[in-house]
Amino acid sequence: MALVEVRNVKKYFSVTKGIVESLMTREATYVRAVDGISFEIEKGEVLGLAGESGSGKTTTGRLCVRLLRPTEGEIIYNGKDIATMKGKELRRMRRRIQFTFQDPTSSLNPRLKIGDAISDALKLQGIGSADERRGRTDEILERVGLSPASSFYNRLPHQLSGGQKQRVVFGRAIILNPEFVVTDEPVAMVDVSIKAQILDLMMDLKRELDLTYLFISHDLATSRHVCDRIAIMYLGKIVEVADRDRIYEDPLHPYAVGLMNAIPIPDPKAKKAEAVPRGEIPSPINPPSGCRFHPRCPMAFEKCPNEEPELRDLGNGRQVACHLYDN
Amino acid sequence: MANLLEIQNLTVEYKTRRGTARGVDNVNLNLEENKTLGLAGESGCGKSTLGRSIMRLVPYPGEVVGGKILMHLHHDVPYPKGVISKGIVNILDLNEDEIRALRGKEIAYIFQDPMTSLNPMIKVDKHFQEIMKAHDPEIEEEEIRGRAYEILDGLGISPERISDYPHQFSGGMRQRVMIGLGLALRPKLLIADEPTTSLDVIVEAQILEEIAELKELFNLTMILITHNLGVLAQTADDIAIMYTGRIMEQSPTELLFEDPLHPYAKALLESVPDVQHPEKKLSWIPGAPPDLIHPIPGCMYNPRCPHAMDICKTTIPDLITVDGGRLVACHLFRGD
Amino acid sequence: MSQQETAISGVFYYLIPRTGDWKERSRSFLIGLAVVVIGSLAIISAFIGLALRSNSGIGIYVIVYTILCAFVVLISDAYRKYRIQEKHMTPRTGWLFLSAIFIILGFVSVVVGLFWVPESEGSLSSALVLGGTVLGVVVILLYDGYPILEERGSAGYVAMAGLLIVFAMVYMTAVSWWVVPYDPRDLDVGPYISAPSVQFPLGTTSLGQDLLSRTIAGGGIMLQVAVLSVLVCFSVGVPLGLAASYRGGVADKATSLVMDSIFAFPGLVLAIAIAAMLGPGVVNMALAIAVVYIPSYFRVIRSQVLTVKELPYVEAAIVLGARDRDILFRYVLPNVLPSAVVVMSINFADAILTAAGLTFVGLGLPVSVPDWGWDLTFGSHQLIAGKWWVITYPGLMIVILALGFTLAGEGLNEILTPKLKE
Repeated sequence: MALVEVRNVKKYFSVTKGIVESLMTREATYVRAVDGISFEIEKGEVLGLAGESGSGKTTTGRLCVRLLRPTEGEIIYNGKDIATMKGKELRRMRRRIQFTFQDPTSSLNPRLKIGDAISDALKLQGIGSADERRGRTDEILERVGLSPASSFYNRLPHQLSGGQKQRVVFGRAIILNPEFVVTDEPVAMVDVSIKAQILDLMMDLKRELDLTYLFISHDLATSRHVCDRIAIMYLGKIVEVADRDRIYEDPLHPYAVGLMNAIPIPDPKAKKAEAVPRGEIPSPINPPSGCRFHPRCPMAFEKCPNEEPELRDLGNGRQVACHLYDN
Repeated sequence: MANLLEIQNLTVEYKTRRGTARGVDNVNLNLEENKTLGLAGESGCGKSTLGRSIMRLVPYPGEVVGGKILMHLHHDVPYPKGVISKGIVNILDLNEDEIRALRGKEIAYIFQDPMTSLNPMIKVDKHFQEIMKAHDPEIEEEEIRGRAYEILDGLGISPERISDYPHQFSGGMRQRVMIGLGLALRPKLLIADEPTTSLDVIVEAQILEEIAELKELFNLTMILITHNLGVLAQTADDIAIMYTGRIMEQSPTELLFEDPLHPYAKALLESVPDVQHPEKKLSWIPGAPPDLIHPIPGCMYNPRCPHAMDICKTTIPDLITVDGGRLVACHLFRGD
Repeated sequence: MSQQETAISGVFYYLIPRTGDWKERSRSFLIGLAVVVIGSLAIISAFIGLALRSNSGIGIYVIVYTILCAFVVLISDAYRKYRIQEKHMTPRTGWLFLSAIFIILGFVSVVVGLFWVPESEGSLSSALVLGGTVLGVVVILLYDGYPILEERGSAGYVAMAGLLIVFAMVYMTAVSWWVVPYDPRDLDVGPYISAPSVQFPLGTTSLGQDLLSRTIAGGGIMLQVAVLSVLVCFSVGVPLGLAASYRGGVADKATSLVMDSIFAFPGLVLAIAIAAMLGPGVVNMALAIAVVYIPSYFRVIRSQVLTVKELPYVEAAIVLGARDRDILFRYVLPNVLPSAVVVMSINFADAILTAAGLTFVGLGLPVSVPDWGWDLTFGSHQLIAGKWWVITYPGLMIVILALGFTLAGEGLNEILTPKLKE
C-alpha cells in the first residue's frame, strides 16, 4: 500500500466579487486551483511535482499537509483519510507529515532565535521538558550542519545567510521525526553554488531518517537530480507521470514536450530549442473546455476541445492525460 | 568591431551605518557593438550595481566614487538645453539634463520585476506616450502609435491591448511591455537586469527568443544581467563572471563553458544542473562570500579556492589577457 | 575596555576618554550631553532651591530621600548586571531581582511616609513611593538604555528625550505637594493677579494663589486621567482587535462597523458629550477619553493582525501543530504589540490635551483642585487684561508633557519597527 494516496482531490477558491457583480451574476466564481488529481507516493520515494505558476502544484503540496482543506476528494495517509481530520487528531497527525517553505526568510519568525524556532515544534506538540527540547534541538542543529549548535542556537534569522536559513527550515521540519515531508521549492531562493549543498542535505536526511518526499519545483533541471518519479501539472490537473529518466528523454504529453524544450541548457553548443508552446497558461478561473492545453497545443485535433482526457495508465509507471494516447 | 562602451576602473561604494561596502571594485569592461554581454554571478556580486551605474541609477546609499564609463555616440544627441556631440563621452561626467537625454534614447534599462515597474494607474499607450514625448515633445500621436504597435507586435502582443492597464496583463506580458517601452526610442544599448527570472520557463524561452529577434532587427547591443548560466549559454556572446564586486573572468561563451579558467567560474559551472546530463554530480562551493563591509585582503575568493597560494591572500590579481582575448583575474595565470 | 567592563559601565562608557575616535564621536556626544546636563542641572537646582523654601518644610528632605532611592536602584542594577555577566544569574532572575528591589523600596517608603508626617495620612507615602520609583526607572532607563542610543541613532535620542521629559514631569507632580513654597489651594497668599516677582516667581492668580505652586502641582489630575484612560483603552481595544480580526467573518465586520462609527466622531466633541453625561470626576473623565480612543487601538491592532496572520511563518507554525491560541499568543501578539505601544504614547499625549480641554469647558473637576486645565480657563479671562502669566505657564506645562509623550512615541516607533535591510 502506498504511503500517500491522493484520490480525485479538488480545491476551489471562491473569488470575492464587488457588490454589483455579485448582484448581477448567480454563479459563484471559483479559482479552480486543483481540479481533480490522483496520484500515489510509495514509502521511501521522492516524487517530483513539476509545473509552472498557476499549475496548482503549490496548492497540492499544501493540501497534502492540510494547510488547506480539499473541496472534494480524499487524501489517504497510511490508510487514513486526512482530508477531513480536525482538532487533536489533526495535530497528532502533523507529527508524521511536515512541510518546508520556499522562502526561508519569510517562513522564520524574525523575532525568534532560530534555536527557539526549531524547538517550538516540540513545544507546540507538548513533547519533552525544556532541557530535553534543548538537547534535541542542539542535535538537530548539528545534523543540518549548523555547528556548533551552542553558537547557532541564539542567532536571529537576519544574521544567517540564505543557505543557512534554509537549513533551519529543514531542521524544523525533521525534529518531530516525520515520515513524509513536502518540500515546496526547497532551493529556489538559494544561490546556485549552494543549491547542491541543500539537496545533498535533503538526501542525507532521507537516508538517515527513512523519509518520503514530495518535491515541488518549477526547476526541472534540479528535479532530475533528486526525484525518482515526476508528475507534471498543468492548470490544476496532472498531465503526465513517469520515471525520472523516461520523462526527460521521451516526454509524451505535448505540454511536457514543450516544457522540456524550454529548459535552458548550460551548454552553448546544445541544439537550440525547438518551438516552444505559444501563449501563456490561462487563468484557472475559466479553464479552456475539454483538454486544458488545447489552445496552445500544436497537436490538437477535434476531440481535444470537446472532451477532457483522463489520466491513463500506460504501464511501466507511465501515465498520460492526452487524447493522442487514447488507445 | 568598435567598442560601444568602455568601463575603466569603476568603483561604487555603499555607505551604510555599519560601514562602507564596495559594491563594484575597480571594474574594467569593454562592450563590443552589436554583441550581447552576459554579466553573471550570485547574489551580492555587484552585477546589478554595475548595470545601474551605467545608467547612473545607483540607489542611495550607493555612490560612484571613481572610474570612467565611456560611451561611443554615433550621432549628436539633442536635448532641450543643448546637445551632446557625437564621439566618446564619459557618462559619469554628464550633468542631469544630459544623462536624462541619454536614458531611454541611447541606453535602455529593463528591471527584474514587471509587477512594480509599470505605473498601475495609466494605460500602456500612455506609457509609450510619456516616454516618447519626454524625448521629443513635437512627436505626433500617429507616430507614437505606429512605433508602439510595431514593437509590441514583434513581442507578440496584439495591438488592441495597448489600451489596457498593466494589471490586465499577465506577468510575461507585462515584461514584454517593459521591453517594448525600453525599445520604444530605438536605443543603442539595452541593459536587462534579470529580465526573465521571475517568469516561468516557457515564457522565459519565448521572451528570450523575442529579444534575440529584436536585437537583430534593431542592431542592439545588450548587457544581460542574470545568475542563470543556462540562459546566458543560449543568448550571450561573451560572459563576464563577477564575485565580490570584481570581474573574475570574461570569455566568449563557448570557451567559457568548454574550459573555464578562473577557479570560481569552474566551480560555478559545476554546480549548475544540466538537464541533459543527469549523471553529472552536482557540486557546491563550501563557505560563503565575505561581508563586503569587512573585505579580506588579496583575492576574496581565496578561502574557498582549491588552488589558493600565498600570494592570493595578499595581492589582488589584475584582470589580464590570456589566450588572446580571454580575461581572467587569477594568480594562476600569466598574461600574454 | 573589555566586554565585561563595557556592559557594566553602561552609559558612563561614553564619558571615559578612549583613544582614536574619542575626538570624533564622543565630541558631538559630549557637546550634546553638556547642553542637556547643564540645562537639567539648572532646572534641578531651581527645583531644589524651591524645595528649600517649601511650604511643608520637609521638601528638600523628600527630594533627598528619592535621590537615595534612585541610588539604591543604581547600585542594585549594577550588581544585577555584574551577576549576569558572571553567569550567576539569568536575565530573567535579574529582572525579578530588580522588581523585588522596587517593591522593597516602595514598602520602605510607605512606612517612612507614615511615620515621618503621620497627619499626612499616606499622601507623603505615596509621594515617596512614586517619586522614588520614577527616579529609579529613570536611572534604569539611562543605565540600560544606552545600547539603543548607540544602535538606533537619532530615533534613540528622540525616544530617550521624550521618556525623560515624561518621567521628569511625573516626578515633579509626585513630590509637588511637599516641595512647593505655598499650598496650591490656599487663597490670598499674595496680592491678586500680580506679575511675576521674586516672592512669586510665576505671579499670582485672580484668587491670590501662587501660580508657581499651582503649576508644579497641577499635573496630578491630568496624569491620573491620562494613565487611567490609557489603561482602559488598551485593555479593551487590544483584545477586541485581536479577537475580531483573528476570528474574521461576521464578528469582525460588526465590530469594525461599531469602531468606525465611533472613530468618525471628532474626539473632543465625543469626550465632551460623554463627560457631560457622566458628570465630573477623575474616573468619568478617564472613561470619556477612553471611549474616544478605543477605536484607534482596535484599528491598528486589527490591521497588524490581518497582515501577520497571512505570513509564512505563521503557516509554518500551523504545520508544526499550533492551535489557534498558540498562534495568537506566541506569534501574532508579540509582533503586534509594538504598534499598540506606539498608539499608547500618542494616546497619552492626546488624553492630556483632551483632559485639559474638558476641564477648560468646565466638565472636569471641582474647582478647588489645582489643575492646569482650570488655570487655562481662568487665565484665558485674564489674557484680555494683559495678564499673560496665568494662562502661559500651565499651558506650557501641558505642551511639554504632550510633547514628551509624542517624542517617546515617535522614537519608540522607529526603534520597535525592525528595519530589515540597511
